[in-house]
Amino acid sequence: MWRNYLTVGIRALAKNRAYAFINILGLAIGMAACLMILLFVRYELTYDATLPGVEKAYQFQSHYKSSQTGAEMNLQMSSYIAGQRFQKDFPQVDKLVYALGGSPVVMKDGEATPTEDVLLVDGNFFDVLRFPFLRGNPATALSNAGSIVLTESEARKYFGSIDVLGKTLTLTARAGRTIDYRITGVTADTPKNSAIKYTMIGRVDMASYWADIPEFLDSWGWQSGWVFLTLRPGADPKVMEAQLPAWEKRNIPNETLGGLTTNQGDDQDWHIVNIRDVHLGKAQAGSMTNGNDRGTVITFGVIALLILGMACVNFTNLATARAGQRAREVALRKVLGASRQQLIAQFLAESILMSGIAMLVALAIVEISLPWFSSFLKANIQLQYWGLDGVILPMILLVLVVGLAGGLYPAFILSGFQPARVLKANKSSADAQGSGRLRSILVVGQFAVSIGLIICTAIIYGQTIYAQTSDPGFRRDGILQIPNVGRIRDHGARRALVDEIKRIDGVVAAATTSIGVNTRNSSNRGFQIDGRNDPIELGTYAIDPDFFAAMGMQRVAGRNLDRNRPMDDATLPFPSQPAADAALNQRGLNVVMNELAVKRLGFSDPQAAIGKTVRTSMVDLKYGPTPVTIVGVFNDTRFRSVRTPMEPMMFYRDQGGDDYVVVRYSGDPQAVNNRIEQLWKRRAATVPYQARFSEEIVGKLYEAETARAQIFASFAILAVIVGCLGLFGLASFTAERRTKEIGIRKVLGARTRDIVQLLVWQFSRPVLIANLIAWPIAWWVMRDWLNTFDSRITLTPVPFVIAGAIALVIAIGTISAHAVRVARANPIHALRYE
Amino acid sequence: MLTLRNLSRTYRTDTVETAALDAIDLDIAAGEFVAIMGPSGCGKSTLLNILGLLDSPSSGSYLFHDQEVAGLPEAKLADVRKRHVGFIFQSFNLVDELTVRENIELALLYHGISAADRRKRVAAAMDRVGIAHRADHRPSQLSGGQQQRVAVARAVVGKPDLILADEPTGNLDTQHGEEVMGMLQALNRDGATIVMVTHSPAHADYASRVVNMLDGRILVERRRAA
Repeated sequence: MWRNYLTVGIRALAKNRAYAFINILGLAIGMAACLMILLFVRYELTYDATLPGVEKAYQFQSHYKSSQTGAEMNLQMSSYIAGQRFQKDFPQVDKLVYALGGSPVVMKDGEATPTEDVLLVDGNFFDVLRFPFLRGNPATALSNAGSIVLTESEARKYFGSIDVLGKTLTLTARAGRTIDYRITGVTADTPKNSAIKYTMIGRVDMASYWADIPEFLDSWGWQSGWVFLTLRPGADPKVMEAQLPAWEKRNIPNETLGGLTTNQGDDQDWHIVNIRDVHLGKAQAGSMTNGNDRGTVITFGVIALLILGMACVNFTNLATARAGQRAREVALRKVLGASRQQLIAQFLAESILMSGIAMLVALAIVEISLPWFSSFLKANIQLQYWGLDGVILPMILLVLVVGLAGGLYPAFILSGFQPARVLKANKSSADAQGSGRLRSILVVGQFAVSIGLIICTAIIYGQTIYAQTSDPGFRRDGILQIPNVGRIRDHGARRALVDEIKRIDGVVAAATTSIGVNTRNSSNRGFQIDGRNDPIELGTYAIDPDFFAAMGMQRVAGRNLDRNRPMDDATLPFPSQPAADAALNQRGLNVVMNELAVKRLGFSDPQAAIGKTVRTSMVDLKYGPTPVTIVGVFNDTRFRSVRTPMEPMMFYRDQGGDDYVVVRYSGDPQAVNNRIEQLWKRRAATVPYQARFSEEIVGKLYEAETARAQIFASFAILAVIVGCLGLFGLASFTAERRTKEIGIRKVLGARTRDIVQLLVWQFSRPVLIANLIAWPIAWWVMRDWLNTFDSRITLTPVPFVIAGAIALVIAIGTISAHAVRVARANPIHALRYE
Repeated sequence: MLTLRNLSRTYRTDTVETAALDAIDLDIAAGEFVAIMGPSGCGKSTLLNILGLLDSPSSGSYLFHDQEVAGLPEAKLADVRKRHVGFIFQSFNLVDELTVRENIELALLYHGISAADRRKRVAAAMDRVGIAHRADHRPSQLSGGQQQRVAVARAVVGKPDLILADEPTGNLDTQHGEEVMGMLQALNRDGATIVMVTHSPAHADYASRVVNMLDGRILVERRRAA
């Protein structure tokens, strides 16, 4: 019996090669997309899942919500003291380590090499996060200050081997201080699917490391590193989190600023997040590796299911459309004694067979495209067949589900034919009542998905391009940004270097600054104005007066800061001298602001702010607030991502506070860069030269958005292909089914053109209806998505209409070949053999 | 009205060449009622298809209203067909998805006639064949005789001067067959030229001339005294 089914099934496929090809290819594409996304989703959901002991390992995060604006900033980082107090007050905490992030310079053979992702810790990091060791003993590697553990890559980079225990590595860290570390361990590189990333981990004594700035150790608002901890067995992080608000109140002291009392805990909450949940967690600021949000992962999953659903729909549609062709077979089998159940089993077996063949093709597609997909997502996604993580089981499940989902309805339809009627009528066009309508509905659904994806792609692309090209308030082209200038400790030497850069051929302007194109640091101060009790938060950044010229910003009111006016300069000696602090506080300071800042401060327009004085703490709080006078207002600028709200900013001159040089150049960018680099290497050999062009920085900033847009585009294309395959198949069957009608119409005088029009219209209608479904849904989804950007494109009907038109053109293109062929056929053939 | 001279139609497959019509000469005057008879495969239907411009001759000449139509392009043929020719088939060839009214209207859709005018003419055609009470029924809801009446109405609604009927009574019982023949006769009396293929000698008797065919040739022509 089953052999007969198999024979008939295979022969039915072989007889209708086009049908089999369309069905199998469509299904294979859908399954391949589904498998790849499944792998991606699992990859995203299993960050750090294999790290030993991870179920007990947590990150202590601080989340901010501004009580003034409601804006949230959720940091994975925490202040040093928060971790210390947390450990002291909660006995459930087993081990806790603070990891300070940084990019010190490795000094080797007199040459400065920049580094990234270096952690300086105050305890044995590997007691908490048990990354596998290749050399050394994880239990003791970081027991003493001055020891350091490298990753395998890093060890090979500096020493060409991983047998480096006992060797010395010299790091120049904050404020140019040089420390020698003894290598005590080598670990494997951190995996790509980890929220933790390091290249080296050095043990320091925090108290002596921060001896010059002891405030770091007891500031609740200074986040420069991460707190990792393990909990004792039985400890419940949820219970502990519930106790944190009270803990905050006990621990965080009030601060007074000229009569106003504030508390660092007001806007801040702490959370205990398992390491496995960090990657997709709520807090994504201050992360070691690029996080993702659950929404994106779910969206991809939904899209994969939609594409698979479309492929199943093709399957169902084509099967019911060609049901008539097999009506006689069904009738005969029934006459010969087959029960309906047997027939249903036969047709289901056929569809599962087809689904199985499609799966083999899908696997080939996945094998070929996975490396590309994986590198595109900067991930390390592997296809593994066997084992717990293997895809064999999901594959079998998918084959069964698709086979059943696609085959069930046709199986019921086919097995329901009445043999007497079919045989008597000798019909070739038996078509079940209602299945035509079902097909139309399903085609509408398919095209709605395709159109929706095309719209989303267009809008995501539009926004991505907009983000990189919209006016940020400064001239984005022609800027070279050089970090690390703060490592040149002597103000004089630093100024001399910048002055020399200005004289280089091709340099138009150069200035030191603490903020530039997408610099990560943000520095806020509360400002007091008369008549308000709560301080107003503004970003405050140290700059050189030439900064505005170098960035290409526009002055809106007042004047720029002036190097020759002492009142315009907030530079203080280092280390701090109380007398100088007090003197600055006494005399006050001239500053410039951007338009948003003066608006936040309550001035009706920029001109109204000129000459007005507000107060903020420029020196140690004990001296009270410093009066600052606004002497100029510049236009608003967006230095960070378009996702980040426009920042209200105050700019002041502080020759010690800058870490970047921004250079505006004209002419050949590379030539200018080379000339600056040569000069830099002569003047500051111990500071790595890591200049980047603004285009490069902005490109990197929107890398993830661009990748997402491209993935969306690929899925949209896949969906359209699957949809068209179905439409193509359906068109051929419909044309066949309507042969008689077309013949009649031709006999009655219809021209080829009329027939083509008729068929094209038949298939255009579902596409047009699909628009009505796709538009509102896409509009709603895209509006929500665009709302995550502070600056965004407006949602116009254009992408909607274009997507509809594209779908229509593709649909017409797909079926017109059929339509023309059928319309040209001589009607006598259609009519004679009824 | 129709003049065929030395007209042949051959069908070719890879290996065989079959002459469906072999050097036929035939004249049909306006207002005639011609019956074509002969055994299966003798070329009756091929002849009818060529007369109705559904098929083109392989060689020879075909004058339709004194205009040479052999070798005209498809679009031209379609144009002549819709202005002059009405068809009636053995298997009715109604569109299952359309109602009686819509099936009849189909014949006017390609004529560029206004909707109001179409409605009027369809109503008149339905009255003429006595199917008006079934206007909104689908073909599947009608008997064979009723379906053929719809087909007749559709054939005449465009006011063609030539009606071609391919075994119009072949699928009908005697009573319904007689009904249809009566209708054809009435149409002929009103001036339409009718060419009918039939197997039934009784129905051939309705014609004014009977053409007997065998193996693609005209064997005998027999005129009935009026």
